[in-house]
Amino acid sequence: MLHEFLTRLRFLIAGRSHGEVDEEVAFHLDQQVEANIRTGMSPQEARRQAAIAFGGVERAREQCREEQPGYWLETFVQDVRYALRGFRHNPAFSSTVVLTLMLGIGSTTAVFSVVDRILFRALPYGDSNRLVSVGLVAPIEPQEFMLGGSYYQWQDHQEPFAAMTSEIGVEPCDLTESNPARLDCARVEANFLPTLGVSPVIGRNFTANEDRPNGPRAALISYGLWLSRFRLDSGVIGSLMRIDGHATEIVGVLPKDFEMPRLQAADVMLPQALDAAAERRADPGHPMWAFARLKPGVSIEQAKAELGPLFDYSLRLAPAPFRKEVHLQVRSLRDRQVHEVRLAAWILFGLVMAVLLIACANVTSLLLARGASRERELAVRSALGASRMRLLRQALTEAFTLSAAGAVAGCLFAMLLLRLFVAMAPDGMPFLSKARIDPRILTFALATSLLCAVFFGLLPAMRKAGAEELTGRTRTSMRQAPLRRWLVIAQIAGSMVLLAGGALLARSFWNIEKQSLGLNAENIVTAAISLGQTSYPTPESQMAFYQRLERNLRYGPGIPACAISDSLPPGGFHRDTIYAALRVEGRPALASGTGGTVAWRWVTPEYFRALQIPVVQGQGFTQEELTSNDRFVVLSKSLAGRIFPRQNPLGQHLHLAGGAPAANDPAYTVVGVAADVKNGGLGAGEEPEYYRLRRQRAEDWDRSSVLILKTTLPPATTEAWIRSQVASLDPTVPVEVRTLSERVGKMADRPRFEMLLVAFFACTGLTLAIIGLYGVISFFVVQRTREIGVRMAVGASRADILRLVLANALRLILPGVFLGLVLAFTLSRVLSSLLFNVAPHDPAAFAGVTCLLILVALLASLIPGGAATRVNPTVALRCD
Amino acid sequence: MPQPTDLLQGTLDLLILRTLALEPMHGWGIAQRIQQASQSVFQIGQGSLYPALHRLEYKGWIQADWKASENNRKAKYYALTRAGEKQLEAEIESWDRLAGAVALVLGQG
Repeated sequence: MLHEFLTRLRFLIAGRSHGEVDEEVAFHLDQQVEANIRTGMSPQEARRQAAIAFGGVERAREQCREEQPGYWLETFVQDVRYALRGFRHNPAFSSTVVLTLMLGIGSTTAVFSVVDRILFRALPYGDSNRLVSVGLVAPIEPQEFMLGGSYYQWQDHQEPFAAMTSEIGVEPCDLTESNPARLDCARVEANFLPTLGVSPVIGRNFTANEDRPNGPRAALISYGLWLSRFRLDSGVIGSLMRIDGHATEIVGVLPKDFEMPRLQAADVMLPQALDAAAERRADPGHPMWAFARLKPGVSIEQAKAELGPLFDYSLRLAPAPFRKEVHLQVRSLRDRQVHEVRLAAWILFGLVMAVLLIACANVTSLLLARGASRERELAVRSALGASRMRLLRQALTEAFTLSAAGAVAGCLFAMLLLRLFVAMAPDGMPFLSKARIDPRILTFALATSLLCAVFFGLLPAMRKAGAEELTGRTRTSMRQAPLRRWLVIAQIAGSMVLLAGGALLARSFWNIEKQSLGLNAENIVTAAISLGQTSYPTPESQMAFYQRLERNLRYGPGIPACAISDSLPPGGFHRDTIYAALRVEGRPALASGTGGTVAWRWVTPEYFRALQIPVVQGQGFTQEELTSNDRFVVLSKSLAGRIFPRQNPLGQHLHLAGGAPAANDPAYTVVGVAADVKNGGLGAGEEPEYYRLRRQRAEDWDRSSVLILKTTLPPATTEAWIRSQVASLDPTVPVEVRTLSERVGKMADRPRFEMLLVAFFACTGLTLAIIGLYGVISFFVVQRTREIGVRMAVGASRADILRLVLANALRLILPGVFLGLVLAFTLSRVLSSLLFNVAPHDPAAFAGVTCLLILVALLASLIPGGAATRVNPTVALRCD
Repeated sequence: MPQPTDLLQGTLDLLILRTLALEPMHGWGIAQRIQQASQSVFQIGQGSLYPALHRLEYKGWIQADWKASENNRKAKYYALTRAGEKQLEAEIESWDRLAGAVALVLGQG
């Protein structure tokens, strides 16, 4: 093998002169002539017979050359040069092809670089396929979680995992040094990093001792923090930083690509330092999130089955109403991370594949058209001795050259597009901002372009021109017409599917924007504040801060109403409880089940007036109640209707913490019923809700609050004024000031982004399909110039000719639209979870895009149609 | 004279290697020798002889040298290489197997 390779290499480099073969053949012929003369032939006859016996000298020489190593390279270079020359002669054709491919390959690549991160790429952990997320799911928390009360039991007695670990969440913490900063601190178990298969870039992991209550304080810092605060200085290991007032030793730095399994942003990682013994006794214990590494050979299903007994143990700890609604969940870490975006990712991928197919169909169609006009050339080359393989190879080389140019342009386009995506994308799409064009993505782009080339190169190349084309009687053949027609029909069908998806999402977005929120977000400025643990350690100090701030703000310029809450409608964070926890005094508790979730908020009396939420019954909270020892509650209309059907809820006493000991479950007096307000986010339903009055008592307050100010001034003025007021009280407190309209607008970002993306691809697909249709109809007109001339000569009017062309176009458009409708009808079901108040088979959306598509397609055919009516019969008939 | 048989695909290589195993030879000589040895059953289409020779040379089984011929003209002589000898053995063996198998099928084994 090696010997052969070296020999070939030698000939490849050294080559072989053509003369050598000629000399060899000449010698052969001379020998034969001599031999023939010896048998008694005349010299002429001898030479003639020798030549006959040898056969075609030129053919032999050509074959010898084909045997030579490097022959393919030589012909390849020749083919490429030939292809490039051809493209240069026809710049309109080649630029159309390259642009089409750029759109197709570019959008596919950009989308793949986003989707790849979600669906395919390995997570940044060692052997990440064996990592799972383990826990309980309940109606109140559909993502699996664990409770300290049973976690340690699970950790000790589980069988299917090699290791099991937990984190207890990420919370804001303060770096209290000369240059203070608010950071995100993750709290994890000591075996967290080893279980994930991650080791610090420098330094070490926590020791078990540091993970005990009151153990030595240690911290791992993120790569980002190491870079921004310590300039990658490795001397940082062993140094101290003050976190929430405590001197903490930096023991290690996390890897650059590290991310928390639940994708929270974290700057610092601290040991959770839970008291395991106390947790075991606690009920329900600290909420936590558990992750585990499967033992080799154990599947997720097996693991789930083996955890059965432990799950039963946890069920016995759960309060009775929960038991039926709590389930065990074990799933791969990737599923845990992408459960929301997986569907969107696949839909996006499907859309972009449709665009790519349309682009490829377009290029195929263009190449077929070009092939038709080059039939004579091919026939001549074939007659001059080019083999079928040779012509096929030439055609494929052309296709590959085109697709290579398309791939280069496509990659550039993808980079641009990706930047656009990232700029447009709302926050909270962690996968998008990390998408990059890297070698892996480039490989994908290359593979895509190769596939395209095979797709659109092979079809036209399969044909070989016969001798009849040499006659040149027909300028253009009609033979590939059926194939091109089918391609156009497929393109129209594809763009129909894209358009239908776009229209559905657009209608859904319209509904989201136009829905009634149940409140008036105009002229509301909000300020979210979270007080630091060290400066404000007690509820008293926290209450004092907020009350002072409220007093200062209330008497500011142009503030007709000012309220404090702990959360804001119409979406995002709010407190939750279960319906079963609510109990009317004098009535038994709900017999079984949780009854679903109920949202609730802490509010001050002016909350309803500021947000213009009508209080439909009673008078809501009053200033006098602020100082009362009693407790008061306002119910939402839907909750009041559910608890007190056909009764007057006012004055009733309600317990809100069912299941808790009587001392912790005081009675609340219902003082009002407020109209329902959107509270589950823009695209989701509404939960019943109640409001608790935040009195002037420390027990009603905690670290975080949102101030809600109605303003009559321009929001920017009020925003600046709020900032100055907060700063005058305490300049170190971070405050997030925004108008409520901005917050609501941000919630619509995601559906808007989805709609824009789909609309973009729909437009791209439509444009490509229209170009394809235009090409076929133009071709049809050119082909039939003579026929049109004859028709006009015998008296057809221009309208007749136009009708002829348009009828032909309709024969492509209508089947395409019909096919597309059928496809879109079957596929649109996939979208249903992304749609808000729109049926996946919404007739208006489907009718609209059908009309649009037919209209645009007819307009595109009018251009060649117009050209057809201007055919001059005398010229047309003379042209052959 | 019997009708010349078409050369079985791939047999030409075997015949060339076998012929060259005797002594280095030029192209014409090889053609003559094969024709004689096969009693004119095989008539090498010379057009296919040279591509075959070149192919074998590229594979490293034979090597070529320009030498003076018997009538003192410069001619290209082909000779078997070490790798060619091994290849010849392998091809003879596989040919024997093939021929034996064909004979068996024809019921003459």
